[in-house]
Amino acid sequence: MSKVTERTQTEGGRETLVSVENLKKYYGGEGMFADPPVKAVDDVSFEIRRGETFGLVGESGSGKSTLGRTLVQLERATEGRVLFDGRDVTTLSGDELKQWRRNAQMVFQDPESSLNDRMTIGEIIMEPLSAHGWKTKQDRRERALELLSEVGLQEEHYYRYPHQFSGGQRQRIGIARALALEPEFVVLDEPVSALDVSVQAKIITLLEDLQAEFDLTYLFIAHDLSVIRHICDRVAVMYLGKIMELGETGELFESPANPYTQSLLSAIPRPDPTADRQRITLPGTPPSPRDPPVGCQFSTRCPAKIYPEEYDDLSDDVWDAIERFREVVRERSRQELGLVDQARLRLGLFSKYDDIDEAVADLFGGLDAPEAVTDAIESAREQVKAGNPDAAREALFDEFNGICDRERPVLQGVSDSGQQSYCHRHAPEYEPPETVLQRRSDDE
Amino acid sequence: MASSTNTQNAEPLRRDDSTVLSRIADNPWPAARWVAVMGVLVLLELGALLGGFLNVVEALLIAVTGLAEVTVGLVSSSLAAGILGFQQSAASTLSGLRADTEGIPTLLSRDVIPNQGYQPGGTGAWEGPFLGLEPAYAWALRLVLVLAYALVLSYWLFRGWLVFREHYRQMEWSPTDDVVDKLRTHRWGQFGIVILVLFLTMGLFGPAMGPTTVEQNILSPYTEDSRIEYYNAESGSVETVFAGEANFNAKSIGSQDSNVGPMTYDDYGRFHPFGTLTNGRDLFTFMMGGARISLIVTGIAIGLGTLLAGGLAMVSAFYRGSIDLGVLTLADGIVSVPRLLLLIMVSAVFANTWLGNILDGGFLLAVVFGLTIWPFLWRAVRGPALQVAQEAWVDAAKSFGQQPSIIMRKHMFPYIMGYLLIYASMSAGGIIISLSALSFLGNGLGISPPTPAWGRAVSLGQGLVSGPSWHISFIPGAMIVLLVTGMNAFGDGIRDAIDPESDTGEGGETTAAGGGG
Ligand code: SF4
Repeated sequence: MSKVTERTQTEGGRETLVSVENLKKYYGGEGMFADPPVKAVDDVSFEIRRGETFGLVGESGSGKSTLGRTLVQLERATEGRVLFDGRDVTTLSGDELKQWRRNAQMVFQDPESSLNDRMTIGEIIMEPLSAHGWKTKQDRRERALELLSEVGLQEEHYYRYPHQFSGGQRQRIGIARALALEPEFVVLDEPVSALDVSVQAKIITLLEDLQAEFDLTYLFIAHDLSVIRHICDRVAVMYLGKIMELGETGELFESPANPYTQSLLSAIPRPDPTADRQRITLPGTPPSPRDPPVGCQFSTRCPAKIYPEEYDDLSDDVWDAIERFREVVRERSRQELGLVDQARLRLGLFSKYDDIDEAVADLFGGLDAPEAVTDAIESAREQVKAGNPDAAREALFDEFNGICDRERPVLQGVSDSGQQSYCHRHAPEYEPPETVLQRRSDDE
Repeated sequence: MASSTNTQNAEPLRRDDSTVLSRIADNPWPAARWVAVMGVLVLLELGALLGGFLNVVEALLIAVTGLAEVTVGLVSSSLAAGILGFQQSAASTLSGLRADTEGIPTLLSRDVIPNQGYQPGGTGAWEGPFLGLEPAYAWALRLVLVLAYALVLSYWLFRGWLVFREHYRQMEWSPTDDVVDKLRTHRWGQFGIVILVLFLTMGLFGPAMGPTTVEQNILSPYTEDSRIEYYNAESGSVETVFAGEANFNAKSIGSQDSNVGPMTYDDYGRFHPFGTLTNGRDLFTFMMGGARISLIVTGIAIGLGTLLAGGLAMVSAFYRGSIDLGVLTLADGIVSVPRLLLLIMVSAVFANTWLGNILDGGFLLAVVFGLTIWPFLWRAVRGPALQVAQEAWVDAAKSFGQQPSIIMRKHMFPYIMGYLLIYASMSAGGIIISLSALSFLGNGLGISPPTPAWGRAVSLGQGLVSGPSWHISFIPGAMIVLLVTGMNAFGDGIRDAIDPESDTGEGGETTAAGGGG
């Protein structure tokens, strides 16, 4: 870890601007009877260097937007620190916070909602300046006009209302507003994903030009890998509130280390068709952030998951069926039973979960599973039918838990250039992810 | 089209911060034309306009100082007494000023177009009314002129905005334009606006609209000023009589021989457009006199309620969590107190105190109504407020450190103002009805007699509805219904006008948005 940190400071001569340390953002979960909290961002650490574009990619619900919002203090961190130029900004409040806000601005995803329709463009762009009592009204006006031309709009747009603009133009206005206070750091929260493809490229170019002109540092949030690849210097891949992999963009795209990144990248068309990487389709859906896996966040869907040694000989198909079955049981255990169902349960009339039979038949029908497996599945099935999916879930966990189920991996360096990945398979005793994925996909 | 008249477009954008005044200086004609007409309109009725304006100022002053007095009174009674002193001196200054304005000649006054008089000899030309017309026609002429004047004046004010929009506004288009343009094709909403203007006219020009004055006919009918001349058929000569005496012989008490119905004359040659009350007073004059106090009380109540509801809705939506819950609890608490009981209690406690006497008891009513009606409005606008608070522009404003109060005012208020207007106009109807109902109940509730209040007229004629004196209850009742309908029409118009989907023709979305509102 320390080795990696050292390198980030020397390499390219770029110093750290934003340093995120063990940041957590949980929603809800306070009070004795509350549901468990939603862990939107769950213990994340990384650094953003001055002048770079740091990409943050992930599916919706991965916590990437929450992370971005927490960095600009739109959300209060539950735990952890955000050091901006070495200063912890999560503890700022009042005037100090307001002063600091000048340094960190945000561009929002939806250009329809990010501008107040009842204000003219001039008013919108001037507002941050007025809020900070920036010079005189005359100067603010000049600055707004200047910003309009910086973002490729005309001066006569000053007196128009947002309704009179297209999505791309509105996004330009949003960018002008974010730049008004001359921030060092700008969070771009999916700035182009709501726009037409033809407009996307123009906005990206504009952002790049502005970065060069004003020495901006970007955090670029996206779910679209191709955009990230184009604009970002370094990328972090998020899944369920956790950074799965982080590294230089080129390297990460060329040789992804983490199974999650590999499956993501396998989905985008590759420039080099001879490279034999097969498309990996992830089974199932991401688990609820209220109830994340105990071990690796990706363990419920990971195609490279480490299985327990006792079951070394199981075929991939059987494993797949087991994992899907566990997912079904997990779903059941999350449901709250209504009063009627609880009464039925007491009376032995409970039948709500009888469809578990079908699931078992679907998943294991035609599979040649060893007895130990079928026994475990059978008893879990019984327990679910008896209205006790929690116990079934526990039992399945005990029976099939490998290290991925039990323990959280650590984000560790996997290359000389600072690439880091969050996976048990990088430990020497396990087969590395790429070979496993290669083998498992070849088997199909 | 607009660009040919809008000088702003022709020139490159000015770097200087040009003000409306400098833009007017550059292109003075449209403004000059408007101002000239407006000036003539104002001069015509300067006295009445100033009087009405001072009335509103006085009501506002009393409302503000009254509230301040009560609040401060909780902390320090000497400070409160100071405020009270200020209020009384300011109010008396204002009353003095108002008395002065009555001396300013106005065109559409009863001095210029009088309608009271007598026929010397019992037939032929009238002595007294305008141009010797029959009193009914003289009165009708004045009434029509006043109403026409009010409508023209309202239109001209709107026209002023149009002139500004076309010639002096830097924005070629603004979202308000859409709202106004939609209202311009919304007949039902326009009906509401016209009704509103008519009733406001009654409040403002009421004294000139009645066939006689509240002073002469109702408040002090036995003073020397209140003598009227009439032709006595028995003696065959013109005699004078106190208005009160004449009233005594002009009662409408439900029997054929003692009834002065709508559009008839009494024995003293006085014309009664709406007939007379059970005590012989002129119902039309009574209604006009009641309009001012009813509208002022309703205005204060709804203003206070809307202010509280809007402010608290924004606070709820912006901070959410425990603050929202606190407001909710407060609102529920207030709703659970029966308003009538509260009104009776407050009226009893403050009876005969200075607070209970402001606006003849109307001020206290207005405050109680305002303080009890906001929870309903708050509930109605909290949803929209929550929705606005979710918009990314609110986040954007937070992200550059804008103050919460400014965020609420600039980024949330414009979006809930429409809803507030809608719900306020609709609940104003309820307040008017409740006010009338209170006067109807009587017993020290409502506006104290003899100050005219609409509900009192309804209550006076209650037992006579089925007889010849049906007009006493029916006409005031119908007028209240008309005003409430107008208010609702106005609310409907605003709702349709601010609904962005209402003219796109996408039926499904329109209904969805309407349902959400
Ligand atoms: S730790 Fe296990 S489950 Fe997680 S990514 Fe690595 S192999 Fe997959």
